[in-house]
Amino acid sequence: MQSDIHRYRLAYGKGAAMKSHYIFVVAAALIFWAAVTGAPAQQQINSGQMATSLAAVSNTGLSLTGAQMRQAVLDNIHNYPGALPPHPLTFPQLENLAQFVVEVDFDFNSAVIRPSSYRTIGAIADALHNPILLGYGFLVIGHTDSVGGRQFNVGLSQRRAEAIRDALIDPFNVNPAVLDAVGMGEEQLRDPAHPTSGVNRRVQLVNVGKKFCFGRSGEQFVCP
Amino acid sequence: MIKETSLICALWLVLAAVFPANAQTMSYADAISQLAAACRNDIEKYCKGVPLGPRLKTCFDTNGARMSPQCQQARGIVYTSISRRAAAQRNIGDACNADIARLCGTSHADAHLVECLLSVSPAAMSSQCNQTFTDTGWRTERARQ
Repeated sequence: MQSDIHRYRLAYGKGAAMKSHYIFVVAAALIFWAAVTGAPAQQQINSGQMATSLAAVSNTGLSLTGAQMRQAVLDNIHNYPGALPPHPLTFPQLENLAQFVVEVDFDFNSAVIRPSSYRTIGAIADALHNPILLGYGFLVIGHTDSVGGRQFNVGLSQRRAEAIRDALIDPFNVNPAVLDAVGMGEEQLRDPAHPTSGVNRRVQLVNVGKKFCFGRSGEQFVCP
Repeated sequence: MIKETSLICALWLVLAAVFPANAQTMSYADAISQLAAACRNDIEKYCKGVPLGPRLKTCFDTNGARMSPQCQQARGIVYTSISRRAAAQRNIGDACNADIARLCGTSHADAHLVECLLSVSPAAMSSQCNQTFTDTGWRTERARQ
């Protein structure tokens, strides 16, 4: 799968280089999300509110894995070819889970997070370290707009989601075992009527349920 | 050699002055945005294209001496704060085990542990446990919720 992404990335490299710099948006608990969509791009994230939102919906865990989602994205491109995705890819299992939206700026056509977004990554780390989220697993899902090839966008959003995951792990010490990164490309446009709009560029942070429990002396184990 | 040693000593003195043992650690958001603000030009000059993560710290370590004084100072404070908060969040169970047993009659090393520590007065806690709990930042994070 990775080699496919790489191949298409090269194939679509020229088109994507036309792209102006990319902004990623992470989405908030859906109700919360609707309330904040009018907020300015570089709003300051409150890590406490983010933690509360991410813990807001109790759930019993998600059977869908990051690997299955990554495969579904590639299948969607294969099964429904076209410049724009004719059928948006949906994951009904995710819809009722607690999630949050923020924005992250990246260098042009790159997965390098800009210093202007360091605070946002730090705030996500503060939220994920909040004790109310201890032991929960999270998907970091990157979305692009429709500028550039679909397969290229999958690769770029995957690398950007991984860059966020990697920064959360080091320097911010989030447990790698609770994070999975998924690049959705443009397969799930938020505003299909305006596919190049900035509102499509986002990263969702989704709570996928309790992954680890803790014993009386602090040892961590997979919840029974 | 002597010069290096005295530089290191001077750095420690500066760090000790600006970051005394009983200080609070910064939130990760405050810490890293302080780094971004103080080092924006130096990152652009010396670490362009280096991802936020271990490679950025390596870039700072490699080019630190050439960077602006305010960036060098921020770098020391920020990375010290981040690793101290991370260590506290990792070690809180051990640091407060006896306190939790004494104050709350339990030793659950999960979210209950924090509820216990939030519910008791800092004065009732051992200084080690209180300092570690302060360093986790969980009192201030709770206040933000």
